[in-house]
Amino acid sequence: MKVALRLAGLALAATCAAPALASPVPFLCAAPAALPALEPGTPYYDIELVPTGRVPGTRRAAGLARVNSTGSPFGVAVTSSGRYSVDLAVSFRGLVPRARDFAVWVATADLSEIHYIGVLDEAGNLKAEASWNKFLVIVTLEANGAEPGESWDGPIVFRGMSRSGRMHTMAGHGPFQAEACAKYGY
Amino acid sequence: MRRATLVVALGVLVLTSAAGAQQEQMQMAHDHGAMEMDANGELSWRMPPMDPNMPMMPGLMGALPAVGPILPGFGLDPMDYPEARPREVMDLVDGQEITLTASVVRRMIAGRQYLVFAYNQQYPGPLLRAPTGATVVVNFENEIDQATTVHWHGLRLDNRFDGVPGVTQAPVLPGESFRYEVLFADTGVYWYHPHMREDIQQDLGLYGNLLAVPTQPDYYAEVNREEFLILDDMLIDDAGIVPYGDAAPTHTLMGRFGNVMLTNGATDYRLDVDRGEVVRFYVTNVANARTFNVTFGGAPIKVVASDLSKYEHEVWVDSVPIAPAERYVIEVRFDESGTVPIENTIQAIDHFRGEFYPHVDHLGNVSVADSMTDRDLADGFATLRSNLDVAADVDSYRAHFDRAPDHEIELTLEIGDLPLPIIQSMEFEKGLYVPPVEWNDTMPMMNWLSTGEEVRWILRDRASGRENMDIRWEFKKGDIVKLRVFNNPETLHPMHHPIHVHGQRYLVTSVDGVPNSNLVWKDTAIVPVASTVDMLIEMTNPGEWMVHCHIAEHLHSGMMLSFSVE
Repeated sequence: MKVALRLAGLALAATCAAPALASPVPFLCAAPAALPALEPGTPYYDIELVPTGRVPGTRRAAGLARVNSTGSPFGVAVTSSGRYSVDLAVSFRGLVPRARDFAVWVATADLSEIHYIGVLDEAGNLKAEASWNKFLVIVTLEANGAEPGESWDGPIVFRGMSRSGRMHTMAGHGPFQAEACAKYGY
Repeated sequence: MRRATLVVALGVLVLTSAAGAQQEQMQMAHDHGAMEMDANGELSWRMPPMDPNMPMMPGLMGALPAVGPILPGFGLDPMDYPEARPREVMDLVDGQEITLTASVVRRMIAGRQYLVFAYNQQYPGPLLRAPTGATVVVNFENEIDQATTVHWHGLRLDNRFDGVPGVTQAPVLPGESFRYEVLFADTGVYWYHPHMREDIQQDLGLYGNLLAVPTQPDYYAEVNREEFLILDDMLIDDAGIVPYGDAAPTHTLMGRFGNVMLTNGATDYRLDVDRGEVVRFYVTNVANARTFNVTFGGAPIKVVASDLSKYEHEVWVDSVPIAPAERYVIEVRFDESGTVPIENTIQAIDHFRGEFYPHVDHLGNVSVADSMTDRDLADGFATLRSNLDVAADVDSYRAHFDRAPDHEIELTLEIGDLPLPIIQSMEFEKGLYVPPVEWNDTMPMMNWLSTGEEVRWILRDRASGRENMDIRWEFKKGDIVKLRVFNNPETLHPMHHPIHVHGQRYLVTSVDGVPNSNLVWKDTAIVPVASTVDMLIEMTNPGEWMVHCHIAEHLHSGMMLSFSVE
């Protein structure tokens, strides 16, 4: 956003109204301007649920898992091990109902732990929780009313990964250090 | 710009006392083999300690902060100064007058002696305990070599005594004094600290608790004992305390995280209790930047109160996340004999490898005796109380919860002339992932090199576009102000901010549009990255007041605004 400022550096020594107690800082002073009003909630941690294309007629559906911090007396919800606890609100637009159920699962990135959440309701919605550092949201097509097993039986229709998954930069391991990425749990 | 008035080596005295786990942490730090003084005997920069598993970013080797180093006490002989002693309790009554002196002391930390600051030569400063509603006169004397003030954090006292230099009072220069009238307005736990260069003065030990004692005997549940936990950290390497920035703070991107954990100023905090005891802990985070996630060996924790009041409903939790300047009142029952560790348990991040990793800091131990307490309060502890008085107090504000905000501020930053590798790194990371809360210093070298000369943290009024101290909101006494705070994640370096409002109390009514179902009156609350937090501020206290981030380095790189109440 302010990358241009670094180019300007000290040459732009105009002092914006300096904080009373801090040193004057050399920054470009932009004219104040109003910004659009804020809507509560943010898409920053939202998880886009991307179709696999394995099930005909699902490519045009748009899926999203909105991520909100679980209610907490502290303003941020973490487990005793420090993992974030989040509420997921899974929703779809344009998902054509089928004879079979759309089942929702959350899983660690290496699929070592998989939790069945439930099936999408008729409106294509479902609430879930998660408390892993990085996790997947997976939607599969399962037999109607089937008792869920440890993992899914049907095809994966949509999948998405928590934003924390983007932190896998490949800069610190993998190609540069010949370390298996899995060592770091993705 | 570089200040080097004290030119002789600090002379860290390595003593033979038990060092404990903290020393292990310090040994984990890279030993860069650097001395803290240069060939001329002047204080010099040295690279900060880093986790040895964390790689050095190419291009930063040998880089130094743009400001000069400063280390109070540098060049002085520690043996010329009194040894600090543990905190004492001052039980005070309305109208009582006391003296509080900030001075240089000698203090043992993790087996070594350092010259640091202290109030009344104590670590932490004395616990000032007075009945709710009492006013205590504090004659403050400044015997350190820096200008300072005392801010009575969270107390709704007279504006003249809020301790903000240039706003409510002139700085108290070395050798000068100031008379504060401290009103213990609301029942709860508070703290006092300087409001000048907190990154140095507070970090070196200028902090202490205040307790406004309830006037109702059953305000809190019955417990076997009460204990005050002040959590802190300090940045120390083999050569001693890592110097601070002179003209401006270092570590302005993330704040100065320490590598030595302190509970009540010590690395070996220990509490002895009988089996079955219920302890009420008043927990305060005085660290410059670190948010803790406090656990008690897996024991269930009852959350009772926070900054200015009890919660509407007590709740059970497994851990207590506490941001700088926040306070929580919690209760824990120790029902099995043995040692219960108090720990900071987090998922740290290594951005270079793009990984989370579990990390635990040891904060202290509770030693539980085999003998059962003669006053077993298990039944009371098992009960979660609903506080109808709090709910009734809050009820009169509920009509404001859903209305449009009166003001909206955005939390962001501008970055100036930092070394190119740092800019490149942040540009690379932008758009990938930033956690809601930074629990550890994920980039020690980059962070150290970022000073208040290059980084400006911003509170931006979205209606006017004005920023920081250019924002001057005006309110009338009795106004109920809804403030919406948005922590913009689309910047080069987003980070959470504990937002402190001086002189008033507020409710966090919702986070990201989700209503808060268990309210408590706050003066400081965390705003995670990308979050939108609605605060309802009750303007009851006339005067000129501040709103700011309580990460010391963010505050001193501009992240503050003022408002007036007439």
